[in-house]
Amino acid sequence: MHGFHGRLLHIDLTRGTSLRRDLDSSRLRAYLGGIGLGATLLYEWAPPGVDPLAPENPLIFASAPLVGTGLTTTAKFAVVTKSPLTGFIADSLSSSRFALELKRIGVDAVVITGRASSLSYVFIRNDRVEFHGAEGLRGQSPGATEALIREELNAPGARVAAIGLAGENGVRFATISNEGRHAGRGGVGAVMGAKNLKAIALLGDGDVACADPAGVAAVAESLRRRSLGPLTDKYRNIGTVANLSVFNRLGTLPTRNFRQSTFDAADAVSGEMLTETHFSRRHGCASCTILCERLFKAAGGEEQRLEYETLFAMGPLCGVEDPEAVLGAARLCDEFGLDTISAGGTLAWGMECAEKGILPEDRRFALRFGDAAGIAAALDAIARREGLGSLLAEGSRRAAAEVGGQSAYWAMHVKGLEMPGYEPRSLKTMALGLAVSPRGACHNRSGAYEADFSGAVDRLSGDAARGVLVAQSEDFAAVMDSLIVCKFLRKCFTDFYAESADLLGKVTGWEYTAADLARAGERIHTMKKLFNIREGWRPEDDWLPERVLAERLPDGVAEGAGLSVPELKDMIGGYYRARGWDDAGYVPDAKLTELGIAVSR
Amino acid sequence: MEAIDNGLFANGSAVILAGGKSSRMGTAKALLRFDNDPLIVHIARKLNAFFPDLVIVAAPGQELPPVAGKIVRDEVAYQGPVGGIYYGLNAAAGEFCFVTSCDVPFLSSDLITYLVSLIKDHDIVAPYWQDRFQPLCAVYRRTVLPLLSEQLARGELRPIYLYDKVRTRRVGEEEIRRFDPDGLSFFNMNSPEDYTESLSLWQRRSATTCTVELFGVPRLLAKTKEISLALPPRATLADVFSALAERLPVLSGRVIDPQRSVLSSGYACNVNGLKFVRDPTLILQPGDRIFIVAADAGG
Repeated sequence: MHGFHGRLLHIDLTRGTSLRRDLDSSRLRAYLGGIGLGATLLYEWAPPGVDPLAPENPLIFASAPLVGTGLTTTAKFAVVTKSPLTGFIADSLSSSRFALELKRIGVDAVVITGRASSLSYVFIRNDRVEFHGAEGLRGQSPGATEALIREELNAPGARVAAIGLAGENGVRFATISNEGRHAGRGGVGAVMGAKNLKAIALLGDGDVACADPAGVAAVAESLRRRSLGPLTDKYRNIGTVANLSVFNRLGTLPTRNFRQSTFDAADAVSGEMLTETHFSRRHGCASCTILCERLFKAAGGEEQRLEYETLFAMGPLCGVEDPEAVLGAARLCDEFGLDTISAGGTLAWGMECAEKGILPEDRRFALRFGDAAGIAAALDAIARREGLGSLLAEGSRRAAAEVGGQSAYWAMHVKGLEMPGYEPRSLKTMALGLAVSPRGACHNRSGAYEADFSGAVDRLSGDAARGVLVAQSEDFAAVMDSLIVCKFLRKCFTDFYAESADLLGKVTGWEYTAADLARAGERIHTMKKLFNIREGWRPEDDWLPERVLAERLPDGVAEGAGLSVPELKDMIGGYYRARGWDDAGYVPDAKLTELGIAVSR
Repeated sequence: MEAIDNGLFANGSAVILAGGKSSRMGTAKALLRFDNDPLIVHIARKLNAFFPDLVIVAAPGQELPPVAGKIVRDEVAYQGPVGGIYYGLNAAAGEFCFVTSCDVPFLSSDLITYLVSLIKDHDIVAPYWQDRFQPLCAVYRRTVLPLLSEQLARGELRPIYLYDKVRTRRVGEEEIRRFDPDGLSFFNMNSPEDYTESLSLWQRRSATTCTVELFGVPRLLAKTKEISLALPPRATLADVFSALAERLPVLSGRVIDPQRSVLSSGYACNVNGLKFVRDPTLILQPGDRIFIVAADAGG
């Protein structure tokens, strides 16, 4: 077999056993790898209705056919499980050397079930699986854990993915981190923590065999060249932090818990300003030519990685004007293993509740928009689950249910996942994408905002025709996330499906057409939806926070823009029709037959 | 920016009230020469570009030049704006009407587009500029006709008496300034001095001054956030890109393709924060702000 290994590794932490199982080539053909493979394995391995934090909820690490081929931006892996934040699918991606090592241990996926009797880590060395105690690592940051495990194993080449204190303590938006990167969204780190699993270490020496190595090398060279052209200028020369000043000017920068879409201090925390005053160096994942990561120098001289989403969430969303404070909050999230978007969203909710006088008081800290010290103390309390931090560790939806009153109105989430930094009232295609995404309020599993930024549609006015655009964008993302190719390379393809089908054929030796891949994207997306339906999805889950529908934007070029209930319903109806689902958003049997999906419902 | 959106305007009409007394001007305002035409022709031309239907409300016996629109006469002369609005709405074919007068040389197309876009959830969309409503630069749904009729019968000649009785969307100054920074849409000529000032302003505005705002890599390269460009009349986006490449050579090649006067593939252009524009032949309006941003909004 080329491109794949045709096997998965199942680790049962309760029993301390491991077993390799064959994976059908037909399944790999149909679902590719990464998110697609993870989604179909989740449907199979998760008992229906399982509590996300129960031992039975599988935590799945999935590799992909392009990983290890040397193609730029493909050193990525997926982490898939049932989310403790949403109760639906959590499908996160992370990248770099851990991804390459996962491929080298000779499996396409690692499925972890059960719960260790005490905090542990697993070391997978090719065919061998070792279980190690990790009590000595309790409370360590993911970065420190990586170094300590490598030292303990005397294996400097081992690659480690770990949780921080937040994952150990079951913070529902905890991440799994490797090499400074995170499988960030949906609380995968809490699932790992619930299994008493501090880390996974990998060391393999397997090769990645391609069916047509010379053909793959030629494509790799072509993509490498394209990845260094004008289409990636932003990622190579300023990074994603560039979004902040643009979004602010376009009235799409969520500010102070989505009360506003512009931030008066946007210049002070803009990517351009950070680059001028705090830039330290560029960095990138393994196998990547783009090097989009930016490390900034904080006041103490320490380097801190910063992306747009973290900058938005710890800056404008919480009303913070000081770049040093943003860098400090980002560092805390990295060290505790916290998803910065959900952390920022939950803090902003807390700030608004505190302003209205309905947040329980905590003697350790107070939450106020713009108060950086309060944010730092709150992040610490969240990771430790101390006092009010324990409430915030539940995420905004559960915290609001606990606080009651009007507080749910200020909880800016979809399906329990906090909103990213794209204002839906001034990006109407994105509004639909956020409402219907199986993962919750997500900007990565579709790139619906692309239509809004293209000029092809009116970004301030939604209609049913957006449904097709969002469905196409989701399918496109599903294929990218399953091959896996980084989204930052997406514009470098002239005809993505045709070029990817050709490339995948060269890697696997299996014949694919552009239509096959487009269909795979739809199949993968549908599989996620089927999982959600089985776990209790209802039509009302595809919706947006009430504030977005009740309040108009008060400032900026999009001043006065709102989103009405009929407008959103119209877009969602158009989306279900584009998908071939019924009016309520359920998937008919005929669609499963058409896509060749065989599941028991 | 000429914005013609047939979908938005398909059910609309425009109404020009031409039947005022022109007493301070001393001569019929509708006939004043402006941009080589009688002023009313100038205004009608602008509105015809948007609306499928145009109604001109004139006083009984009033002289008018040939103009592309349906002419109706006040049944009772000089009943003020309420009478004019009533007769105009009554004769219009659309579901809603943009109502203006015959003495406003600087109507903003962008403002009209914006006002019309708001009518779908309201009965009246009325700008509020310098502490007063501007009833003769406003959009009215024709369903207000019965109320107007009653108002006329009671002799209430001020349009704003109607505003409290229906769903009126007040459009504030900040909102207006996004489309018409100086509120020139509300500048009506009442005296010979106003007329002279208008002609002079028209000449000055025939040259196009635009501001380019730079974001991300272009801002870092140019070491500036924005730059003002003086361009010939009816300048296009391509003219902007050429002028920009000349003023900021550091952007040439990397951000702007100077041979073709277009942006390079990694960059996109937005005009006034509202529309992403790909067509380099787009004609700009004085005061337009052009944003140059990365074409990829991912992050």
